[in-house]
Amino acid sequence: MVDIVREKEKVDTVTIIIDDVEYQVPKGSNLVDAAKWYADNDIPVFCYHPKMEPVGMCRMCLVELGMIEKDRATGEVVLNEDGQPKVRWFPKLQTACTQIVSDGMVVRTNTEVVEEARENVLEFLLTSHPLDCPICDKGGECPLQNLTMAYGPQGSRMNFADKMHLDKHVPLGDLIFLDEERCIQCGRCVRFQDEIVGDDVLAFHERGRTLQIITNSEPGFDTYFSGNTTDICPVGALTTADFRFGARPWELTEVPSICPHDAAGSNISLSVRLDRDFGGRAKIKRVMPRQNEYVNEIWISDKTRFGHHFTGSDRRLHVPLMRKGSSLIELDWTTAFNTFAELLQGANGDVAAIAGNGMSNEDLWELKQVMEKVGSDRLGAWSPTHGGAELVAQVGVGKGTNLGELGKGDAVLIIASDLEEEVPIWRLRLKRAHDQGAYVVVANVRPTRMDDFADVTLRYAVGQAATFMNSLKKDSKEVFEKLTGADNLVIVAGAEGLSLDGSRALAQAAANLLVDSGHVGKPNNGLLSPLPGPNGMGLHYLGFSPFTTQDIMANPPKVLIVAQLELIADDPSASAWLDKVETIISLNLFPDVVSEKDAKLILPIQSFAERDGTFTNGERRVQRFYTAQGPIGEALPAWQILSRVGEVLGAGRSKPSAAAVMLDIVNGVPAFEGMRYRDLSRIERQFPDVGGQDLYYGGTAYQNKGGLGVQIASVADSGDVAKGDVASADAPKAGKSQLVILPVTRLYNRESTFEPSMLVHPRIMEPYVELNSKDAKKLGIEQGDVVAVSADGAEVRVKAYVNGNAPEGTAIMPRHLASTATPLTLTVGEITKV
Amino acid sequence: MAIAEKYADRIDKHLSKYPDKRSAVMPLLYIVQEEYGWVSPEGIREVADICEMDATQVKSIAGFYTMYSEKPKGKFWLQVCTDMPCALRGADEFHKELKDYLGVEEGGTTEDGMFTVEHVMCLAACDKPPMLQCNFHFHENLDMEKMKVLIDEWRNEVNASVKSK
Amino acid sequence: MYIIFREKEVTDIHKFDVYMKNEGYDGLKKAIGMKPSEVIDEVKSSGLRGRGGAGFPTGVKWSFIPQNEPVKYVAVNADESEPGTFKDRQILENNPHQLIEGALICAYAIQAKAVYIYMRGEFWDVGHELDKCIDDAYKAGFAGKNILGSGWDCDVYTHLGAGAYICGEESALLNSLEGKLGQPRVRPPFPAQKGGGLYGEPTVVNNVETLANVPWIMRKGGAEFKKLGTEQSAGTKIFCLSGHVKNPGNYELEFGATFRELLYDHGGGPLDGHTFKAVLPSGASGPIVPLSDEVLDTPMTYEDTPKIDTIIGSASVIVMDDSTDIMWVASKVTKFFKHESCGKCTPCREGTYWIDKVLDRILSGEGAESDIDLVRNVAGNMQGTTLCALGDFAANPILYTIKHFPEDFKKHVNGESAPVRAAGD
Ligand SMILES: Cc1cc2nc3c(=O)[nH]c(=O)nc-3n(C[C@H](O)[C@H](O)[C@H](O)COP(=O)(O)O)c2cc1C
Ligand code: SF4
Ligand code: FES
Repeated sequence: MVDIVREKEKVDTVTIIIDDVEYQVPKGSNLVDAAKWYADNDIPVFCYHPKMEPVGMCRMCLVELGMIEKDRATGEVVLNEDGQPKVRWFPKLQTACTQIVSDGMVVRTNTEVVEEARENVLEFLLTSHPLDCPICDKGGECPLQNLTMAYGPQGSRMNFADKMHLDKHVPLGDLIFLDEERCIQCGRCVRFQDEIVGDDVLAFHERGRTLQIITNSEPGFDTYFSGNTTDICPVGALTTADFRFGARPWELTEVPSICPHDAAGSNISLSVRLDRDFGGRAKIKRVMPRQNEYVNEIWISDKTRFGHHFTGSDRRLHVPLMRKGSSLIELDWTTAFNTFAELLQGANGDVAAIAGNGMSNEDLWELKQVMEKVGSDRLGAWSPTHGGAELVAQVGVGKGTNLGELGKGDAVLIIASDLEEEVPIWRLRLKRAHDQGAYVVVANVRPTRMDDFADVTLRYAVGQAATFMNSLKKDSKEVFEKLTGADNLVIVAGAEGLSLDGSRALAQAAANLLVDSGHVGKPNNGLLSPLPGPNGMGLHYLGFSPFTTQDIMANPPKVLIVAQLELIADDPSASAWLDKVETIISLNLFPDVVSEKDAKLILPIQSFAERDGTFTNGERRVQRFYTAQGPIGEALPAWQILSRVGEVLGAGRSKPSAAAVMLDIVNGVPAFEGMRYRDLSRIERQFPDVGGQDLYYGGTAYQNKGGLGVQIASVADSGDVAKGDVASADAPKAGKSQLVILPVTRLYNRESTFEPSMLVHPRIMEPYVELNSKDAKKLGIEQGDVVAVSADGAEVRVKAYVNGNAPEGTAIMPRHLASTATPLTLTVGEITKV
Repeated sequence: MAIAEKYADRIDKHLSKYPDKRSAVMPLLYIVQEEYGWVSPEGIREVADICEMDATQVKSIAGFYTMYSEKPKGKFWLQVCTDMPCALRGADEFHKELKDYLGVEEGGTTEDGMFTVEHVMCLAACDKPPMLQCNFHFHENLDMEKMKVLIDEWRNEVNASVKSK
Repeated sequence: MYIIFREKEVTDIHKFDVYMKNEGYDGLKKAIGMKPSEVIDEVKSSGLRGRGGAGFPTGVKWSFIPQNEPVKYVAVNADESEPGTFKDRQILENNPHQLIEGALICAYAIQAKAVYIYMRGEFWDVGHELDKCIDDAYKAGFAGKNILGSGWDCDVYTHLGAGAYICGEESALLNSLEGKLGQPRVRPPFPAQKGGGLYGEPTVVNNVETLANVPWIMRKGGAEFKKLGTEQSAGTKIFCLSGHVKNPGNYELEFGATFRELLYDHGGGPLDGHTFKAVLPSGASGPIVPLSDEVLDTPMTYEDTPKIDTIIGSASVIVMDDSTDIMWVASKVTKFFKHESCGKCTPCREGTYWIDKVLDRILSGEGAESDIDLVRNVAGNMQGTTLCALGDFAANPILYTIKHFPEDFKKHVNGESAPVRAAGD
């Protein structure tokens, strides 16, 4: 796809004539795109999609096409007797979607022949289409419906008795259903899976009028991006299990928001409706992509789309609670604020706080204020797994970065991360970079899905990522030179198979390489880290560090504030050190072991969906989310609770709104300069132009009305770059009869923010551990055996997979699949057959 | 036994013809049909592995072409050309007589699993109607008399081979 | 005189040794003695036009191939699926080496690295025989490495289709060869261009008969070939004669021969007790013409057939006598195109399905006069709007049968004709 906006600056333009008006358009752009962007002329399309290669299948875009004649010898324009340039017209109508603009191209889109052709194509499509719009999910936002109204015939002359009757409810996977009668064979879904995702599990079967979409893969159509096909399907043929007949599009209100699950910060639109079974409050009916070409383009992962049910879960905490002896009693908020303040004051300074990565920037700021007021700077970030944040702040991808631009001449290194599982949208966009010609290197201790899109895959010993980076120049000269010699270089440095120090060391090593080769401080260059959660960078900028968390775990305080995280569910070692804490104050969405067993004060907070706020994504883009869902019980935004507590502590009047909190942040944190809400809400016209009336063009992804956000400048952006020494960090050594346990992330897991999305359960793996066949033999373990894994002072029973993926001496163990905690970071343990 | 071992030589020969493995999907589907009598699900998976394609894409190919059968067929797959040039010279009647003689519907298979009869489009033998192909071998200038003789021959063929086993 | 059907003069010419004794592969030897560009010029000068239907000048097509591209291919189109066409099969059976030689000359002219002979799957037996002939060519050093010491390598392979008319369309053929769905591609880029051919490399796609002419042209020279036939239709042509004639079959005649010569002198005239009614000169896909004396005396050439509102195409002459219900013909042909539509583009996929439905309704006696206008109108809407020519092919028979034989349709809607079982079901 030639992005005509960006290209216009780069390449020279050509002159084309559309309906007798001249336009300068970028060379190489597609006629449909150019007509739309520059001539505001919406040529109707079904099979063409601006993000995919044209195929000329549906024939909806037929136009009159001609060329201004030039004299072969002189190159002079040939003129008619009337002095007008002579145009050589094609004898037949041509499909606009398959035309690349060229100088002297002449197009007519408004003539009778063209109108007639459009009407005919629509009539042809309607000959087989069931016209069951009243019961169709797409009804009201259906390209076929809209175009039929605009250009269609007065009903089809096809006799209804002659229509084909086909299966209207084919499950293509767990989440997507196909209505064969509605499908118009445009192939968009097939091409999306093939071109955009790179996983061709959809195809056409048979031919002619019996042509039909199928999947014959195991397990069917269940890639992490399947939901996007329902957005680009120009009819109601593909629908999601989540929304089938859930509500009518026109009953829904769209609220701009941000995906609460990962570092991509995908822009989304929450479709809400006042709902009886939800006490008449606004309820989220579906999650749709919201265009942000810098962040997620028009795509979202299935986790983003289907993982919203936790916000409306009836497990949510409803009222403030306090522990009286063995029982929990309800409090009114004023009492709660006062008690909160007293508990803090009683600690005379021996206070610490650990904040979860789902807290908004505003929440974190207010937490910081409270902590300062009681004289503590022990601000921990959860989880203590990824150490790269401060280096992302220094040499992270430059301001104005758009991963979608990476291509020929550029390079990408992905190290110590399973990107498909950790930040699926980054994997999607870097796959595109690969397709556009970028040189992609994937380095890890084990194979991952991203290997499929790598030019080179490299392996290193568990825990040795930093050392590997430092010796890249020596050991893999060619790769090193290709990376450092690239026009643009992006390094994604994760934490898989590393300790916290190890991941910090890797990030530093990566930063040094970037600095040495001059790939910092400019767009599309620099460091990325797949920090867990939507606000990993926010934690950093507001002073919360995973290293502090480590220190808190080692030297527990008298009073501990646990904000929006579930220590015991996450970390097997937690209950041990929590015993040393006298008082725990828990702010959370759900009751968890901490609140049920140990916490003194349990305060219900609002999820991202019920209030305003901002997250800072992995690219350091600060983005707004807006109030969409009705409140749950008496739950309040964390920032408000903390601000009120601050007031009790004498920190001045509490803040009236999240916007007001952001003003304090802007004044208090240099990085946030120029980030008032109104700055963050700024939008610009983006290519491709989706979400307008012409749904047939881009699909049902929403136009961005909530703001594109603002990217924080990296230190390097503002001119000063520094290298640092790479601290040596060794991996834990496994004693004999032990294995190194290597925790990894699975996109679909049992975290409390995902578990309530029932319909995705069939796709959550049961708990397992991956073993190397050599180790398995030693331990007498076979494929499918149930084994006990004991590490970090806890034991879990899981299924064993024996395959070539685990490095020898290492057991790969996904986090958050089991109901009890499994190791959070690299450790050692015993594995025995039971 | 999987086709990969049983037909290793033929498969390698086909793979060697093309610059990429995917191109061998059509010849390999013929081998699957030869082995299983139809393009069976396991056959599709085997081809997918050999050609390094997704099983969905292999099924897509199998479904597009009429000479791959996605359901089991009789031992003798009789495809009568009833396209216009042959039909001008009585192919439709011949096709009907044949079905009646064997007692099958269009596309049906005789109870003994011996014969499947269906009509097909032009087979490039328009000057020798009526004609049919039996397991891809042409038989031209036919009439029911000749047909009955052929049918007996084919029956005996099978019975003989059964005895010899 | 025979250029192609030499078996009529030399028995067993299909055998390698016999072919060799009769100037076999002399054309290739001669070509390899020349510069590739000279070979192309020779073929250009012969006036040879494509025999696959479009009639495009063969030498010109070869000259489109960019020389500087390192990898190029030749694809031989032996899909022969047009109803009424059965000439390529006879060439493959009776004179296979002449095709192989022709294909190799083409390959040399464009410096191709391989030749793929794409045969319709139903040519199962023929195809496996052809493999043996190709082995002979390899053994004799006409194919493979360093052909005839020229330093040029070229492999020759066969590929069997599996029952899809559309795979005769050149870009669908290439997709099919690549193991993709046999559906036409968007053009440009064309097969001869980088990005448009086999595996994206520049590729010449030629019909079997076209290439079988080339060895003769190399041996005797383009000028000699140009002397045969007419101004715009040089050489001989194989006419596939089928339908209501005494002696159906393939006839290789010098261009210029009239329909009368073919139908009477060679075809033996109509069946006893019948008279000719109509002819389809270019298989199912071409316009039908009523057989008048004017038509009978028209030379079967590229330049003359348009005068009688039809085309010669692949010269598949299907003859119908007075016993024929032309509406039944229209229905038969429609069923063919409906069955063969690849489904990729809307007008062809939906149009063929729809027209067939309405024709069945008419044939069964359920139709109304307006249904005739409906099918004509639907066919009209298909014309010129589809991704490949199959859509036009499917529209032709409808438009021209209704134009020339309206009464054959009317009699079904005003009850003059007994209901007809939907053809072929
Ligand atoms: C639907 C369709 C079917 C075709 N079938 C054949 C065929 O069976 N054999 C053939 O030689 N050309 C066929 N053609 C023409 C080919 O596309 C192509 O023009 C031809 O092979 C070029 O070779 P030539 O220049 O030697 O004629 C077909 C075209 C279309 C649109
Ligand atoms: S399901 Fe939708 S997207 Fe897929 S081919 Fe059918 S209409 Fe197009
Ligand atoms: S053919 Fe152009 S949009 Fe479908």
